[in-house]
Amino acid sequence: MDDLIKLVRTYRLTAGPADRMRLAEQIFRLAEPDLRFFVFGSIARPAAEDALQEVLKAVATSLGKFEGGTVKAFWAWCYRIARNKLNDHYRRQAADRILPLPPEELWRLVDASAQDSPLSPEDKLDLEYAMNLLTASKPECYDYLWKHYVFGLDYAEIAEEQNLQYDNVRMKIGRCLDVAKALVS
Amino acid sequence: MADQNTDAAAKLQKLGARLRAGFAKQHPAQHLEAVRGAVRQQWEMEQRTKRTKAASPPTPPKSKSKGPGIEPGV
Repeated sequence: MDDLIKLVRTYRLTAGPADRMRLAEQIFRLAEPDLRFFVFGSIARPAAEDALQEVLKAVATSLGKFEGGTVKAFWAWCYRIARNKLNDHYRRQAADRILPLPPEELWRLVDASAQDSPLSPEDKLDLEYAMNLLTASKPECYDYLWKHYVFGLDYAEIAEEQNLQYDNVRMKIGRCLDVAKALVS
Repeated sequence: MADQNTDAAAKLQKLGARLRAGFAKQHPAQHLEAVRGAVRQQWEMEQRTKRTKAASPPTPPKSKSKGPGIEPGV
């Protein structure tokens, strides 16, 4: 991830188009999978590919204007752009809003991750428990747990997205986790 | 309770890391051409803006005097 912020900083200082395109390619090789995960976890599949392209173009167009100095700040900035694009999309096609990925699909992703880093028996138990926490949750809580723990947005980012107070989000997520644990135990 | 919450949170985060890794494995970057196109367009737009600024005549400095006025001491 350090590589990512080094590339972004270098991009900011680069003037020539060929160098910029080369750097952008390296940056998006690293960034596109996470942005894809974000978009595909937010809207229904047929529309997600178009939305992803819009997000990638918007991030690429503004890349030289990013002023932060950390990977965390870079991702927060990317997700803000992605959220704005997805909100545009929701306004156009409300019916596409959704949608937790089905557990079978989640397990397929876990299996894919195991190709590079095999799962220990303990990992499997932990992941099963986490999956149960998610699937036991009602939609609103699923959404909070997904965004905060699975996707890694912090309380402030979720608060900004939902137009809520920071502490309100923190408490909601804590409550959702408590409820999910009670349902699973 | 706090420890249990931390434990559950850690397991959810572990799941998140696995899902992102699996997703990246299944879906490597596919839209690099679109990214290059966006970068090129942005660069061209910046060049046009620079040329327009360079070509526009400089604005004359504002004069401090207010009209013909009266010579001091007249």
